[in-house]
Amino acid sequence: MTRPAAVRTGANSFEKIASQHLDAVYRAAYALSGRADTAEDLTQATFLKALQNFGSFQMNTNAKAWLLRILRNTWIDQLRRAKTAGPRVPLDESILNSQPANGTVWSDAQDLLENFSDEVVINALTRLADEQRLTLFLVDVEGLSCEDVAEITCVAVGTVKSRTSRARAALKTCLADHARQIGWAGERI
Amino acid sequence: MNHLTDEQFEDLIAGRTAEHDCMHVTACAECRARLAEARAIAARLKQAFAGIQTPAALAEKIRLQSRAAEAAVSRRSARRVVAHCRSYAAAAAAIAALIIIVPAVIWLTTPASAVAALADIHNHNISESGAFVGETNPARLAAYFREHLGFNPRLPEPDHGLALRGCCVRYFQGDVAGSYVVATPSGIMSVVVVRQTPQRMELTDYVMPNGLACWRGSFADKNIVSVRIGEYSYCAVGAVSHDYLANLLARLID
Repeated sequence: MTRPAAVRTGANSFEKIASQHLDAVYRAAYALSGRADTAEDLTQATFLKALQNFGSFQMNTNAKAWLLRILRNTWIDQLRRAKTAGPRVPLDESILNSQPANGTVWSDAQDLLENFSDEVVINALTRLADEQRLTLFLVDVEGLSCEDVAEITCVAVGTVKSRTSRARAALKTCLADHARQIGWAGERI
Repeated sequence: MNHLTDEQFEDLIAGRTAEHDCMHVTACAECRARLAEARAIAARLKQAFAGIQTPAALAEKIRLQSRAAEAAVSRRSARRVVAHCRSYAAAAAAIAALIIIVPAVIWLTTPASAVAALADIHNHNISESGAFVGETNPARLAAYFREHLGFNPRLPEPDHGLALRGCCVRYFQGDVAGSYVVATPSGIMSVVVVRQTPQRMELTDYVMPNGLACWRGSFADKNIVSVRIGEYSYCAVGAVSHDYLANLLARLID
């Protein structure tokens, strides 16, 4: 039986639960939007919704998954309101065009990945399709199980696996294409 | 050779399947390279986000927002408790009011209802419909009343110049009441015998010409005069004057 938020205290208070997963929600918001200011707004909207629905949250269940599902739904709502097909956030050309620290020409994926800056990697992620982006983030960055991701994204576990695999391949392609454009990699990796 | 499927790769990356348990990976260099590459991408992605932290201002804003909202919920809960108490108090007050007001309303509306009911019985009698019994023999009328009413009301004597036309037993304000009809030179009158006192029926004090105390009232074109005889009130009802009705009752008493 659920209890009103006001009745829950101590470890079960909303503030306590929310603070434990604030960074994960913010990072996910950042991964979805690709922008710090949008991520802040999205995070705030997510926690507001979560607070409003805290009465329906089942204690001793996965609070992180619950918050991330709210985040996803909030993001989708915002996209619908904006009547956009997806967050095609343009890459920051100044970031993508920045040169590797040591000027090396990269020939394999691992070296390439290691020598791109964090911003480039994250911006490459934001170029993926919405569900691919979120799925890859949840699996690779947050380390959630496929079952949890399936619940958050409302798809089957098998779909999560195939989607993760495709997203990872798409991210690699995106980075490799960019590397080739700027002359960092001479061959397709 | 069939390479690993996407799902098999994900199970290996997530550790759900141990690499040494997967014979194909051991044998296939292409899949091993693909697996290593996928792991490298996953690790790099995780590393890229490691530096992304919630801005302190946002964390503080959400913390304050949570506290404020929880406090608001607490206040709403407290208000709901108070509101419930108030609603219970209001309900109790309403019930108490009903207990007091309803009898009062009944009491206040009874007089009008009483005279109206007496007039209604008379109208019913003169139409000679329904439960009206067209019996003119005083003995048989008495027997009828005894059977249906439980007692013999006082009937006019034959030498009083009043002709009986019939009788009726009906309900009057929750009680069984008997009535009979007499034909007089001025028209048909009813005498309704009820347990209720004239005061209870809110009839007004009235002193008959012969000095006998009685009560009277009116409803529409019908006048009513009542006298108390024993445990019963005899109410004469008709479209004649109060004095005429009073004289009719005086003959009963005589």
